[in-house]
Amino acid sequence: MKLEEYNKIVKKHSAKEDKFKNVLIAFLTGGSLGVIGQLFTTFLEKCFYMPLHECYMYTMIMFVVVSSILTGLGFFDKIVSFAKCGFIVPTTGFAHAMTSSAMDHESEGPIKGIGSNIFKLTGSIILYGLVAAFFLALIKGVIM
Amino acid sequence: MIYVNAFILCGIICAIGQIILENTKLTPGHLNAILVIVGALLSCFGIYEILLSWGGAGASVPITNFGHLLFKGAYEGFLEDGMTGLLNGILKTSSGGLSVTIIMGFIVAVFTKPQH
Repeated sequence: MKLEEYNKIVKKHSAKEDKFKNVLIAFLTGGSLGVIGQLFTTFLEKCFYMPLHECYMYTMIMFVVVSSILTGLGFFDKIVSFAKCGFIVPTTGFAHAMTSSAMDHESEGPIKGIGSNIFKLTGSIILYGLVAAFFLALIKGVIM
Repeated sequence: MIYVNAFILCGIICAIGQIILENTKLTPGHLNAILVIVGALLSCFGIYEILLSWGGAGASVPITNFGHLLFKGAYEGFLEDGMTGLLNGILKTSSGGLSVTIIMGFIVAVFTKPQH
């Protein structure tokens, strides 16, 4: 059998995921997280009289703590398999990547396991964020 | 009304992420790195501040906000104190979220076992 025919048969029988449905689910779950964040922000602003940027920081921290604990308890993967990008794109996905890579290598010890692997997935986010921010700020600062 | 805006904005960013994942072979790791760079770019052109004032937490919850915070800290530092300010300020505004993420990752990893 030729490779092309084989690929055709594989394509015919592999499960098709409905792309539009996935996008819709990501929109709805991501939007709900945004509303929860806004509720928490308004709550902090009204009850503790914090400045707005601190409210955003504590909202981010709230999401990070909740999703780290959910990852530790093993619920997060089940949520992501349902919600897709709705939970990967918000800060929850960042915390999940950090916690899960630390957890997976915990058995190798505190230095070689957790220490060297905790940034395995999030390292790229921090690296490219930092590099992009550094050069953009430098260029904008020098030009302006 | 800001709740509706937050829903729409956060939902759209997540939906864009999902569209990218569906139509390319990128992994979530690639996607998050791209979104952070996009956040820094939007912040550089002054668009992210508008999004924050329009959508509130809808703009501060997605990972793009991390890029925005990095750029904001770096740029404000540069205006204040030149190169020293840039280097000192680049992690200033985002360090709250980043440190909590690292600390929580460590604590959770120490106290739980992976369930496979």
